[in-house]
Parts: sequence; structure tokens; C-alpha cells
Amino acid sequence: MNPIRKQRLYALVAILIGSLLATWLVVSALSQNMNLFYSPTDIKAAEVDEMTLIRAGGMVKQDSIIKDTGSLNVTFTVTDYNNELEIRYEGILPDLFAENAGVVVRGNLQKDGTFKAIEVLAKHDENYMPPEVAKLINEEKE
Amino acid sequence: MIPELGHIILITFLVVSFVGGFLPLASVYFNNQTLDIPIKRLTFFLFFLIFSSFLILVYSFLVDDFSVAYVAQNSNINLPFYYKFAATWGAHEGSLLLWILAMNAWLFSFMYLAKSPDKNFMKVVFSISCQVMFAFALFTLLTSNPFERILPIPPLNGSDLNPSLQDIAFTVHPPLLYFGYSGLLIPFAIAVSAMLFNTNTKEWAAYSRPWTLLSCAFLTLGIALGSWWAYYELGWGGWWFWDPVENAAFVPWLLSVALFHSLIASESRGVFGKWSILLSIFAFATSLLGTFLVRSGILTSVHAFALDPERGVFILGILGFFVIGSLLIYSLKDFTSNEVKAYELSSKEFGFLLNNLLLVILAVSILFGTIFPLIYEAITDGKQISVGAPYFEIILFPFALALGLLQGMALYLSWGVTASFNFLQRLTLESISLFSLVLLVLFILFDNLYLSSFATIFLACWIMVGTLQISKKRNLSYWNFLKKRMAVTFAHLGMGILVLGVGVVTSYSLEKELILAPGDEFNFGDQTIKFKSLEDTQGPNYFSKLANINFEDKEDIKNVITEKRTYIPSGQLTTEAGIITEPFQDLYISMGDNLEADIWSFKVQIKPFIRWIWLGALLIAIGSMLSGIKRIQRS
Repeated sequence: MNPIRKQRLYALVAILIGSLLATWLVVSALSQNMNLFYSPTDIKAAEVDEMTLIRAGGMVKQDSIIKDTGSLNVTFTVTDYNNELEIRYEGILPDLFAENAGVVVRGNLQKDGTFKAIEVLAKHDENYMPPEVAKLINEEKE
Repeated sequence: MIPELGHIILITFLVVSFVGGFLPLASVYFNNQTLDIPIKRLTFFLFFLIFSSFLILVYSFLVDDFSVAYVAQNSNINLPFYYKFAATWGAHEGSLLLWILAMNAWLFSFMYLAKSPDKNFMKVVFSISCQVMFAFALFTLLTSNPFERILPIPPLNGSDLNPSLQDIAFTVHPPLLYFGYSGLLIPFAIAVSAMLFNTNTKEWAAYSRPWTLLSCAFLTLGIALGSWWAYYELGWGGWWFWDPVENAAFVPWLLSVALFHSLIASESRGVFGKWSILLSIFAFATSLLGTFLVRSGILTSVHAFALDPERGVFILGILGFFVIGSLLIYSLKDFTSNEVKAYELSSKEFGFLLNNLLLVILAVSILFGTIFPLIYEAITDGKQISVGAPYFEIILFPFALALGLLQGMALYLSWGVTASFNFLQRLTLESISLFSLVLLVLFILFDNLYLSSFATIFLACWIMVGTLQISKKRNLSYWNFLKKRMAVTFAHLGMGILVLGVGVVTSYSLEKELILAPGDEFNFGDQTIKFKSLEDTQGPNYFSKLANINFEDKEDIKNVITEKRTYIPSGQLTTEAGIITEPFQDLYISMGDNLEADIWSFKVQIKPFIRWIWLGALLIAIGSMLSGIKRIQRS
């Protein structure tokens, strides 16, 4: 074979193998690590089993934060102004977590209808809200 | 009046960059001397304009001119002056101005330092750069004017700089990152110019290589500083979160690394000409895409920027124009590739090809994961998802493994064909020796070996040995040999150190959340943590609770302070972590919530080898900078 063509063949084979492997990796990794976002209203409507890791969010309801004194357990309620969802979490809350501020949690829905969070995200300042929550609130206003 | 002056100067800049964007092009196209303008002097003039405009904004911050809306939103009378200075790039509008300034600085350096290629070639590089700067200046003036006023009644005080940005790393992190991003403008402009003139691959690759290396160095530093800042300022002790904004910097970094490797082959052997051109275009495009992702706020991110969809559309427009435009030239222009020397599977060329393939596919996969939530939302009509960090880790691992294995062997490959792979035997043997030594050290230090870290640690040893091993072929003493290829030694060694840091910190970290009252003790690893006292203090623009903590082990008592600050104007809380840095580990404690009276929760962590990650990144940056500077000097 002509050396230049041979070298094109090498390149082509390498690209093909690389892309195939990458596609397979991307698809399998994505299917395991894609977390759907639910508002409290969505959760009422949808069938979510407790095995599925999901994200939920809304505004933290006023006076709903109850901190346990002897442990790091905390419960609070998020609302989309239509429905509410009780969140349970064990751990230190982020600095930006506050009443009447947007929050996104990651975790599992429990049989009793509460939500067990493994991660609480409140990474925003007063001008910023997680887009999911901002969208929720805009929809409610309309 | 002074802010208006800044505004007018910015408008002047817009006009001049517009003229610069097409006159030199026209003079080349029509071969018309009357259209000729002195581009070097014009570059200087543009730089002068944007620099003055930027200085005026800085001045407005320093004198607390709250009639300027941007200053009012991002500063405060009580802010220390150095943060007032840094607040200039604390949000969107000033960042853009800094960005344009950075692009100008690159163009300026290129015009005055580059080995003067063909005059027409320079004109086109200048024009393309002017077009990009014009687009950015237009964007700034239309959607994000930093000089906008609040009149007739300006606020008495500003609403303060985001407290988590009031930090030393933050004052330098954005400028470095912007210099990295915007530096990719030069390779892009060179690539377009090379297409138009059908420049010889070896020739244009030599123009482009130092600038690609330099912007890569800045990107590396910017990303590493951002990671370091997140580590101690956000109080979580994490150093990489796979946040969209981080990915937005990581993807151009990967592509710039791919590009300068590809340019080595292009310059030395004349191969991969078209590929290097495409890569230059896409590296620049991803740096713009990064801006779009960050500034439009369509992705959930830790980076809190004030958001505006209109801005997103505008940036997408700029991105579309330059990418489609340059790809159009690429497809329409009939530039025949130069005569290419053949290479074998075992050759250095093929090594570079694999390196590029892996880096680019990795970059595409990460980019895909980053924007997948948008795609998903579009096709499912509004359903929202996020792609978790495990996705990126699953993707990264095999690619990093393959890249690392390749990197260890890379310096032994020869152009055309590698005669013998005898080096592999020694490389393997020495890597295994080093690997055993590292394991021994880890066992002595931490009394534990984690199987999960073996692959990464071995990879690190492989890369380091591969970088430092003597090649017997050369008749040089070892030190002279290393000195001769100092840049690559620094960079590759840095990568090895970084990988080692990542491998160890991922497996050996300890983490615990505790509840302590003053006087309490807790045993954690080989450390005893003592909560000594709690104090109230006050800073210039915050008051804070300050916990005095001791870390005690058999030999030593180390004292550290962690704080929970409440910033006065905004009422925002921030955590200042207390960190004790030792050569092999960081002891890290951060204050959590106040549970009752003096009882607080704390997050305590031991982070072995974490500093090695940033040390590695620093070496990579030094290596690429050395190489870039050497190449500029040579010309």
C-alpha cells in the first residue's frame, strides 16, 4: 500500500475506535448519572420510586426549618406555591441556605412522602437562583 | 464626567476596531496601497484606548463613584481598597472590559514580538483580531455597559462585592483565566490567515506555536487558582466540582493542549496542517462557548453572575459568525496540503495523532455532558435534568489512563518510525520501582493502602519516570540533557505530580461532620481536634464568629482559626476554612451551623497530597510558558 494511504488508514481506524469507545462510554455514563428535576407539584403527579436518585427544588418555606440540637439532622419544607415537599437532611447546610431562598436538593423520595436529601445546593446570591427554581417561580407567576 | 469619558473612549475603540477590522483586509484583497494603514501603530492606539477605558472603570471603583451602576452593584465604601480594585472584574460588565483588554494585550505582543512574517499575513491577523474585539466591544456597549449611570440621584453606598469574591486568589484568578481564554484569539487569527494565503504548514505552525503555548499556560494557571480558591473559600474542601463553568474552562484547555502538540508535528514535519487549522478554530470557539455558558446563565452553576438571556443570544451570534465564517473559508478555500513525509504506526507523528484524538474526544465528551441538560430540555419540552459529577469521572478515567500511558512513552518516539522499543523494558521496571517506593511512603504516612488508588498512582510514576529517564542515544550528560528540554520536563513532570496528587487525595481523604462546644475534643484519624474557644470579632465590612481549634498529634500541637463571617451590607454568610498545610497533607476545618448557644457543627477533613495537584499545575504552566517564551525569543 502507498505509505500515505496506509497512514490515512491508521488515522481512520484510530478515530473510529476512539469515537466508538467514547460513544459507548458517554451513553452508559449518562444513563446512570442523569438526575431529573422535580418540583413539589411534579412529585405529587409522578410516580417516583425510592430507588431513583432525583433532584427536587423550590423556595424554602418561611419558619419551616427545624434543626435538631443533638445531631446534624434538619428538616425543612420547599414550596412551589402550589404544593409542598418536606425535606430531611443530615449534614451541614450551605452558607447560602435560607428561608425564602431557592434551593435544589438531590436525593430519594421516601415511602412516607418526604424527601431524603444527600446533597443540598443553595449556591446563589440574592440576584441569582438555580435556573430550575427561577423557572418554577416564573411559571407560577404567570 | 469621568465615567462618560470612559464610555466615549470605549465607543472610539469600537469605531477604530471596526476600521481595523476591514481596511487592512481590503488593502490586501485589492492590493491597494492607498488603503494601507500602519497596523502596528493602530494596535498601540487600540491598546491605549481600551487600557484607558479600563483604568477609568478602576478609578470609579477606587473613588466610590456609586453613580456608576456597575460600581454601585459591586462595591461598597467599607470595602478594602485592594478589593475595590479587584471588584472591577467582579461581575459581568467589568469582566468583559478586562477580556477585551486581554485580547488587545495579546495582539499587541504578537504585533511587536512575533517574528515578522509576511506583511500581508500580519495585516490579516490584525484584521481578524480587530473583528473579534469589535464584536466584543459592541456586545459590551449594547448589553453590558460598565459606565451606565444611576442619575440624577446616585445611591449613597454600594451593595458590596459578593463576599466570597473578597479574597486574594480571586483578585488574580479571573485575569489569568481571561488572558488564557483570549490568548486563543491569536492562533485562531493565524489559522484564518494561513488558510487565506495558503501558507506553508511548517511556517504558520511556527508562528502559532508560542502563542498557543502561552495562552495554555495562562489557562492552566487560571484554572488551578480557581480550584485552589474554591477549595479554601467555599468551605467544602473540594477542589474540582465538574461545575459547568469549570468545564467551560477545562474544554478549551484540553483543546489548547491538543493544539500545541499538533503544532509540534506541523512545525517539525509539515503534517496535520488542516487538522491544526480546525483545532485552532475550535479551541477559540470553545473559549467563546465558555463565555456563553457562563454569561447566559442557562446552566446551574456555583458561579453567580447576574444573568440576562439577551446576552446569551448575542454571544451565540458572535460565536456563530466567527465559527461559521472560518469554517466556510476552510471548506471553500482550496488549500492543497503540502508534501507530507510518511510515518509508521510506531512514529512520533502517530503518537501525536493519538494524543490529539484522545484529548479531542475527551473534550467533546465533557462538552456534551455539560450541555446535555440543554439538549434534553429542548427535546423533552422542558424537562430538566442535571448530569452528575460521576458522569465526568467515568468519562475522564479511561482517557486519562490512555493519555498518561502515551505520555510516559512519548519522549522516546522518533519522527517517521521508532527504531526500537527497548526503552519500554526500563521504563516499566523503573516505574514499578518508583510505584513501590510511593506505596511504601504512603503506607508509612497513612498506615493504609487503597487498591482504588493503585492505577492512578502507577500512572503518575509512569509519567514521571518517562519524563526523567535518560535517553542513551544522546551524548550529553544527564543534567545538560534535562536542561536542553527543560520546558517539556517541567510540563510532563508537572502532569505526573498532578496525577499523583489526584490519585492520593481521592482515596486517602478523611471527612467528618461533628458537633462541638468549646472545650470539646474529638479523635479524628491520628489527630485530636480540640475546640478551644469561640470569639466575636469584626472586620472592615463584616462581623464574625471565630473558632479557635487545635489539631494535636503525638508530636505536635497546631492551632488554626475558622470563621463564620456575616457581611454587613448584604447579610451574606461566608465560611473561612482553617487550613494547616503540611508537605504531605492538609488539615482542614470549617465552621458549619450554630446549633444552640456556643455549640457549632464543624466539617473536618484530612486531605493528603492535595497541594501536589496545584504544584503540578504550576509546573505545567511554567513548562508551557518557558517553551513559549523561548520560541518567541528565538525568532
